[in-house]
Amino acid sequence: MTVDLVAVLFVAAALVACGAFAAVWRRDLTAALTGVPVIFAGAGLAFAGVARFSAAAGPELIGQEVAVLLAVTALALLALGLGIAGREASR
Amino acid sequence: MDSLHAIGFYASAALSVIGALVVALAPGRELRGAGLAVLGIGLAGLYLVLSAGLAAAVALLCYLACAALAAGPRYRAIEPAVTSYWRQLGAAGAAGLLALLAYAAFRGDFVTVGFFGGVVNSAALGRLLFAHDALATEAVGAVVLVALVGATAAWRVRERSR
Repeated sequence: MTVDLVAVLFVAAALVACGAFAAVWRRDLTAALTGVPVIFAGAGLAFAGVARFSAAAGPELIGQEVAVLLAVTALALLALGLGIAGREASR
Repeated sequence: MDSLHAIGFYASAALSVIGALVVALAPGRELRGAGLAVLGIGLAGLYLVLSAGLAAAVALLCYLACAALAAGPRYRAIEPAVTSYWRQLGAAGAAGLLALLAYAAFRGDFVTVGFFGGVVNSAALGRLLFAHDALATEAVGAVVLVALVGATAAWRVRERSR
């Protein structure tokens, strides 16, 4: 049993597709917004995998750096979207 | 990569894909939040196996915060007038995207090189974040600041108008 870049990219593709499916399938926009961090997770995983297995030129940790930035950006986008949507009126 | 790492990788991959499926398919906001938390734990495990310890810690924190946000208070339901035809077309597009990405991953001719970094890499990653690519870090910091200020302003305006 081994792990290579192809396995990492398969998992990343599954995450991106699940996130895209959540974003387009949900009727409610605030629920659809939760698909965005899933897409970013897939993208970050692909970057980290390339940094681990195939970073031949340039700084080899640049994929990990992009993964960190993507995780922070996903949180910021979710916070902004849910803040704009607002809460239901209290009854 | 030895078989213990491989077992960790596939267990974490299963956890993260299950979390993503829960986010995509579960009905309630609490379940969606739980799905995001499971996704974050799985993603952190994947990053750890890929020798990205600092990225794992940051991703775990961010995705647990995303889960708390998504499962937190009762948000307004905003339903745009999108017909089910377009939703089905979008779902088919997502399936096509999966097929395309999987095909690209399978057929790609990737260079394989050795990795000589450590497990956590915090010093090297910090040098990249704050020296080599400081502009990108500043840009993401600006995005976070705008998002937090915008979210706070939106909450306050809605609370006041109630």
